[in-house]
Amino acid sequence: MQPESHGPWYLAFRRLRRNRLALVSLAVFGLIVVFVLAAPLWADHVAHTGPNATHTTETITVDGEQRDVVSVEGKPIGPVWFGAGGKFFLGADGGLGRDEMVRLMYGGRTSLFIGLTSALITTLLATVLGLLAGYFGGRTDTVISRLLDVIWSFPVVLLGIALGVALAVGGLKIGPLELAGNSIWIPILIIAIVYTPYMARPIRGEVLALREKEFVEAAISQGAGALRVMFGELLPNLWSTVIVFFTLNIANNMLLEAALSFLGAGVQPPNSSWGKMVSTGVEVIYTSPLLAFAPGVLILLTVLSINIFGDGLRDALDPKSKVRLEARAGAPEPEGTAV
Amino acid sequence: MAAIGLAACGSSSDSSSGKEGGTLTGTFAGFPDYLDPALSYTQEGWTSMYNTYIPLLTYKHADGAEGSQVIPGLAKEMPKISDGEKTYTLFLRPGLKYSDGTPVKASDFTYAVERLFKSNSGGSPFYTGIVGAEKFAETKQGGIPGIETNDKTGEIVIHLTKPRGTFTNELGLMFVAPVPPGTPSSDQSTTPIPGTGPYMITTASRSKGWSYARNPYWEKDNSKAMPDLPSGHMDKIDIKIIRNASTQVNETEQGKFDWMQTQPPPDRYPELKAKFEGTQFRVENTISTYYFWMNVNKPPFDDLKVREAVNYAVDPKALERIYVGSLVGTQQILPPGMPGYEKFELFPHDLAKAKALIKEANPADMNVTVWGDNEAENEAAVVYYNDVLGQLGFKTKLKIINADNYFTLIGNQSTPELDTGWTDWFQDYPHPNDFFQPLLSGESIQPTNNTNLSEIDDPKLNQKIAELGEVPLDPEVEAEYAELDKKYMEQAPWAPYGNRTVSTFVSSAVDLDKVIFNLTFGQDLTSFQFK
Repeated sequence: MQPESHGPWYLAFRRLRRNRLALVSLAVFGLIVVFVLAAPLWADHVAHTGPNATHTTETITVDGEQRDVVSVEGKPIGPVWFGAGGKFFLGADGGLGRDEMVRLMYGGRTSLFIGLTSALITTLLATVLGLLAGYFGGRTDTVISRLLDVIWSFPVVLLGIALGVALAVGGLKIGPLELAGNSIWIPILIIAIVYTPYMARPIRGEVLALREKEFVEAAISQGAGALRVMFGELLPNLWSTVIVFFTLNIANNMLLEAALSFLGAGVQPPNSSWGKMVSTGVEVIYTSPLLAFAPGVLILLTVLSINIFGDGLRDALDPKSKVRLEARAGAPEPEGTAV
Repeated sequence: MAAIGLAACGSSSDSSSGKEGGTLTGTFAGFPDYLDPALSYTQEGWTSMYNTYIPLLTYKHADGAEGSQVIPGLAKEMPKISDGEKTYTLFLRPGLKYSDGTPVKASDFTYAVERLFKSNSGGSPFYTGIVGAEKFAETKQGGIPGIETNDKTGEIVIHLTKPRGTFTNELGLMFVAPVPPGTPSSDQSTTPIPGTGPYMITTASRSKGWSYARNPYWEKDNSKAMPDLPSGHMDKIDIKIIRNASTQVNETEQGKFDWMQTQPPPDRYPELKAKFEGTQFRVENTISTYYFWMNVNKPPFDDLKVREAVNYAVDPKALERIYVGSLVGTQQILPPGMPGYEKFELFPHDLAKAKALIKEANPADMNVTVWGDNEAENEAAVVYYNDVLGQLGFKTKLKIINADNYFTLIGNQSTPELDTGWTDWFQDYPHPNDFFQPLLSGESIQPTNNTNLSEIDDPKLNQKIAELGEVPLDPEVEAEYAELDKKYMEQAPWAPYGNRTVSTFVSSAVDLDKVIFNLTFGQDLTSFQFK
């Protein structure tokens, strides 16, 4: 009887299914996604307010008792859970009296949207640049590699802040592309660009190695053009690397967004993101610690779950990588193993 | 002149006890707009340079109303006013030196005034009344014939085109403090200009802070020439820029810093007040107005109904809560304590009425850009304002700018989309003209360092400001200023919302009772003394 044969994707899926930690992480991430996607439902049907609506001088009835959303002394109401039918579930966000729970949910949408979209752009840019540089070599490689080196030479957060602050005032205008200073696309583009070298360089390296393989030579000898070789022959062999980098990028990008927003160079008010909420929450951390703690915990959970899942995905798609990583971590390296 | 109704905070400076010397470490949340006497037009900048660049006249180093008294600075005595109040004659005190040893000359005053115009300073409108100044402001060349100086005798004669009742006050502002000839006209914030006061700025970095040392020529020469001015107790003053106000509070409480210039964050304010009031913490009244400006030349704010609607919609009570007790609501230009202040409320909060006015006005352009800075309460105030405009149906674009650059940016008319935004104004001197002339007169609209942010330019009201500015204050003139306040608010170029109180918070090592809070210059660095 012949052994059952399975494709590499099926095998990877089986390996991933056996990694319980990765699956739990995926489930946690899924729950977070559901939580943030439910923001409009919660805002419209439970809290009856939007994320940016202020309620400074309003009062609400909590368990039959009339209370100020923000006291005359300026102190916001704390968590009332379901005491007001879900309104101000996590309390108000400071002197402005905005519903913290609604902002947390909408802020999560912003953070995840920025993380995912910028990771997609990074992946797209890095894959194209890595393929071009690795396949063509020569001057093309020199130009692309030096350009990446220039971006790489700046510390990520510093470059992000510089671009964020500069673009927050005048916005961005390149040809037909015009973005207002407070557009969410500004932090997305900044994050996507500053992380591109971190992904493009390894892809270029892998393309350099693949270019010398027989299947590439065979395709060229059959008359395949450069585009066909790059996207028809090389790219399918890069998928596992690209997918793993993409997931890890989401987490990194979310962290960078949080850092930029915390430092005032990311998402612009009145919009919320978890990073921005930590930043404003820190200002009242002594009297209302939950305002910084809640978005902080959500950032932690999201980034951790994506990272663990990303690791699991890498192990599933490229089992040898785990061996290589363990060897790097201190295990004796088997003689002759490529690192 | 009417008495300013402010409680004098703290006791007067008594240097007979306490420690002399030492290094005072203070914190600011950011670098002032400028550390250049010709350019700075913020309280932070003036606090920083009050004891470094001394004008011909200066303000008494005292709390409350007493600190609003103009006294001779580099000039021997108060000016002799003649020629129908159009000529001011002063004499420079002999033997004065800058902190680099250069002797101070009478002609340095002319140089300082010319430098002010060359740099398009926000303070230049105060001095356009000098004969030839207006032309110089345009051409930047040919000198100002209205200022005559004699370096040998130290005589300085200033000719005005017409009488100006506030000119003595204006000679006390550091805009026209003499600086050494040859000082470039460009911003010298990070390359400190030699000064004449007891402290000289030694280093300045926009990101880290700045330091002062004793001016070596103060003790030797200048203090003998100006015995009425205090010499200060500290040998050195280091100012650190610490963005996070809570960190400033913690470290001042722990004694790592001796003084925080920044206001405590909202959640720390009640705690500090309860725990340290009287020992390390003091609430200071200010003569200030916080307001949202609306550009009356740009739609939709070119329509009076829209501006009235905004005034009805903004609720000073909400802003009192946002400022956590450090703001008292208002709806007018002049603040309490300023001569001419008479309380009125033209636009009691009424959102429904505001919405009806917008409906009536039916503006074609509902897109507005809203500007604000990123200091905690100010940012919250502008976010509130943004929400209010949203409730009125406007499609808003909010721009929050770093506080270090905010005033420079919104004061530059080439900045696009200057529709509306937040700002504040603290008195330069105790005269109501100081609110009307720079903030509402058409003359004050400038391409850079603009202070008339609503760009209101009403010829009749301009004329009234000019007329009132020519005569000395008396009860009749004060009543006219009160009327002017109403006349402007009927045009609603602003939505004023509050008058601010600020605080002084020092470490336990500093003697709070001796710290002077001057209504114009804030905390007086010469008054800080360790116990």
